[in-house]
Amino acid sequence: MTTSLAPSGDLAPSYQLLAALLTLVGIVLLALELKRSRGSRLLAFATGSLASIGLLCAVLRPVAIQSKGSLVGPRVVVLADASRSIDLPGPAGKTRREEAARALGELSKHGAEVRLYGLAFGKGAPTPLTAALANGAAEGAPSGPEGRLGQALLAARPMPRSDLAGAIESVARAADERPAAIVVLSDGRFDRPGESQAGEAIRAALGTLTVPVHAVSLATEAPRDASVRAVRAAGAAVAHQPLTLRVEIGCAGGLDCDEIPVSLRELRESGEPTLLASGKANASNGAATLELEVTLDRAGARILEVSIDAPDGDAVPDNDTRYLTIDVARDRVRVLHVAGRPTYDVRALRMWLKADASVDVVAFFILRTPTDDVVAPSEELALIPFPVNELFSEHLPSFDAVVLQDFNAAPYGLAKHLRSLARYVDKGGGLIMVGGPDAFVPGNYAGTPLAEVLPVELDRGPDAQGVDVASFVPRTTEAGRAAPVLGPLRDLIGEEWPEMPGANVVGDARPGATVLLEHPTRRTPKGGPMPILALGEHGSGRTIALAIDGSHRLLFSAFAANAAGRAHGAFWDALLGWLMRDPRFEPAVVELADGCIAGEDTTLTLRPLPGQKGDAKITIRKLGTGEEARTLSAKLDGKGEPLSLDAGKLQPGGYSATVEIVPIEAGAPSDGATSAQRGPTTRRDFACERGGDEWADTRPDPERLAAIAAATGGKSVTVDQIGSLPLPAATQIAAERRVSPLLPPWAWTLGAAMLVGVHWIVRRRGGLS
Amino acid sequence: MRARVSSALLVLVALLLVALVPRPSRAFGEEGAFNPRILLTGTARWEGARTTGPARWSEELTRRTSAPARLSPTTVRADAPALLAEPFAIWGGEDAVPALTEREVVGIRRFLALGGVLFVDDFAPESGAFGKAARRELARVLPDGAPIPIGTENVLFRSFYLLHRAVGRVEGEPKLEAILRGGVPQVIFAKHDVLGALARAANGTHPFVVVPNGEPQREQAARLAVNIAMFVLCSNYKDDQVHAPFLMRRRAAEPSP
Repeated sequence: MTTSLAPSGDLAPSYQLLAALLTLVGIVLLALELKRSRGSRLLAFATGSLASIGLLCAVLRPVAIQSKGSLVGPRVVVLADASRSIDLPGPAGKTRREEAARALGELSKHGAEVRLYGLAFGKGAPTPLTAALANGAAEGAPSGPEGRLGQALLAARPMPRSDLAGAIESVARAADERPAAIVVLSDGRFDRPGESQAGEAIRAALGTLTVPVHAVSLATEAPRDASVRAVRAAGAAVAHQPLTLRVEIGCAGGLDCDEIPVSLRELRESGEPTLLASGKANASNGAATLELEVTLDRAGARILEVSIDAPDGDAVPDNDTRYLTIDVARDRVRVLHVAGRPTYDVRALRMWLKADASVDVVAFFILRTPTDDVVAPSEELALIPFPVNELFSEHLPSFDAVVLQDFNAAPYGLAKHLRSLARYVDKGGGLIMVGGPDAFVPGNYAGTPLAEVLPVELDRGPDAQGVDVASFVPRTTEAGRAAPVLGPLRDLIGEEWPEMPGANVVGDARPGATVLLEHPTRRTPKGGPMPILALGEHGSGRTIALAIDGSHRLLFSAFAANAAGRAHGAFWDALLGWLMRDPRFEPAVVELADGCIAGEDTTLTLRPLPGQKGDAKITIRKLGTGEEARTLSAKLDGKGEPLSLDAGKLQPGGYSATVEIVPIEAGAPSDGATSAQRGPTTRRDFACERGGDEWADTRPDPERLAAIAAATGGKSVTVDQIGSLPLPAATQIAAERRVSPLLPPWAWTLGAAMLVGVHWIVRRRGGLS
Repeated sequence: MRARVSSALLVLVALLLVALVPRPSRAFGEEGAFNPRILLTGTARWEGARTTGPARWSEELTRRTSAPARLSPTTVRADAPALLAEPFAIWGGEDAVPALTEREVVGIRRFLALGGVLFVDDFAPESGAFGKAARRELARVLPDGAPIPIGTENVLFRSFYLLHRAVGRVEGEPKLEAILRGGVPQVIFAKHDVLGALARAANGTHPFVVVPNGEPQREQAARLAVNIAMFVLCSNYKDDQVHAPFLMRRRAAEPSP
């Protein structure tokens, strides 16, 4: 309860002011008058002044105001850095996160009269720190000097970015109570704002909100650390073309970084990573940039490992190795088309390959066998030797895909290169084996290393049947009906195929392979329908087995004429596209929105195609060892909505996520069984690293914090100096108010009249008029 | 008599049994074999001494190259759906042909639209009656296509053999003519009676004399036929850059024709 005096509210403030001025003028005039006169001037001045004040009181009639209220602190938003970098070493052997929690405790003490509103910022809009407490994330956390907000920050999940500008924009545009000040707790190593003009960027983020942004540095000294700070590609990565990678090496904290070995490797599906380039960086002055040139032969997502051999005393070894996912594009798909003899099937495929401007085809057809009688000397022939050794050793990596069409491996020296061809697939190359009398088993592939990469098994027995000469119409499987790779063909001809004049005899589909077309009557040794078209993954590459030699009937036949011959192109465009991982032909898309940080929960986003119903089985395997790290599953309802799948915590390294879409069997109830067959698959390679970009540069940046504070009228301090922060004062809020006159109006008037009378008497006695 | 009846019955039963065995209409691997089909229009029939020409064409192809070919080529009518079964046909004749029917025009047009190759062989280039009539009718089929001369610069002359000129039963003009599509010949006109040069009777004799150079010219005609077949099977394979240095060296080493 407080009591105060105030004039009566009868007069407007302007009249009150006029009355006070007149009173003052009267007193001044009296003083001037008495200065020139003689006699008792002091008494006359006193009574005159009192009479003037009495008249003023009679006019203003003061009242007593008794009010009841409380002090309300202003709202101060505390933006606490929750990016991964706050788990880096801070001062005095603590982490920056612990220092931030301490800072929150200090702020709570220093800002007792303000209302602190704690927000954690990192990626996207900042989240209330108390949310972590509400979610129970901090349950069991010991209460300490850091207080409730500090406990919440200790429990907060680290974020993959540190976007201060975005957080301030969000605060400035929020519809709730505007803050009187903003306090930022961070190490200053932001994604936004950048190093230059950080203050201007934050002022722009504030917009119309004119409040000071104070900054509290969680660390000022860099730890002893050598790291791979960044890896940047000079231009887009295109298969078969040299690519320069700029590797930025950092060195801080007084480490000896005269010669740091740097190596660049590509992770493989199986086996040790392949060394692509290496060099040495001199980072004795704190930083160095090393340019390494690499040539990536395979398109698609490639995982590169960049590592340094850090000097002794490195306090943060986790950032010595970085993983980089490079999406290697193609200028043109380079295809090696090898055919054992010229046929209409060869002609059709060649014409399509040559007609597609995105395909760069190198073709070799066997036009003459050793037993052919050409009736001419060689100089009258337009034939060239088949450079099998050159093609399948020196030039093989330069091709994106190899098509072996009705080609016998034995007579032309290919047999000795089958192992390298299998390795080529293992490293990411594509392979299509097209049927014919000299393909698959009759082509001497059974029992060879190449047979192991094909999506179908080949009978290697001496009595193995090579071909089945009975005509048949290929049948589309369940997976074939769902697979996007047959979608363009389905759009043209439905699921009906023209009659084929026989097929190569192949065995069961290999584990992981997808059969899209099958023989209607012929069975494999295990009793299943014989695959006619099967797709498979092997290592980092893909393979296709097409056990017929009549796909040209999609181009040229009475059947083909119904679709104007376009079915052949649609079929092969999709097969080659699938082989090259064209997204159009993938059954689903797998993404990692927030990337993957080792030791933290990883979320995969699965985007199925609309209309897909069934089960999605996701298998995550570690690159190199092939070890199965996780298996996940999800139900697809056909709506095509993205699904989030928790992959849990993964260790550092490269991984492949293979998604298999197993469709619901036709006619099965909606909740019913999925097909026993395998469905179409897709794959996404990714890498997990500790800390990621947030740990790449461990140096704190207090200068950036100071620039932000200076630009907004705030103050930049350390945690120990939080007490000096100029936080805004509290505001008195009245809840009850009572006004009562000190005297009744007549008493003021009477008093004034009496005082005027006394002054009159004194003046008369003093000889004044 | 009874023995003859028994033998006949036995043969009949055997034939029936053979007929009952499921057989493919065409063996695996032959599906894409070269088939020099004769295109018939109007009331034309395929008869005469040249009927052995297509089989000889196939025989020469399989003897000299790795390409498979039908050794018993068939005929196909221009208005029959079977024309669309395979991408090659030969249209030949001695005399002027009557105007194609609308169904025949549509049939050949569809054949060419799918990418088929038509070889027009004038069996009597001395008169040129067939050649003129065929050009007239093909102009109805392909109103926008006009034949142009093609010589040794064209892939047809190096698809298997390196040829200096075109020859058949008659030496004729050194160049062929062709209507091109996408830069490659689609309708090939020969004024050389190539089938006449290829024709061979069952006893191994040739029903037509090749003039003026006799058997060496017949060999060159066979090579032209092989090249045409290889072009049909491989398209412009020999235009690929990888072949260019080899072929340029060989051309350069040859004496000028």
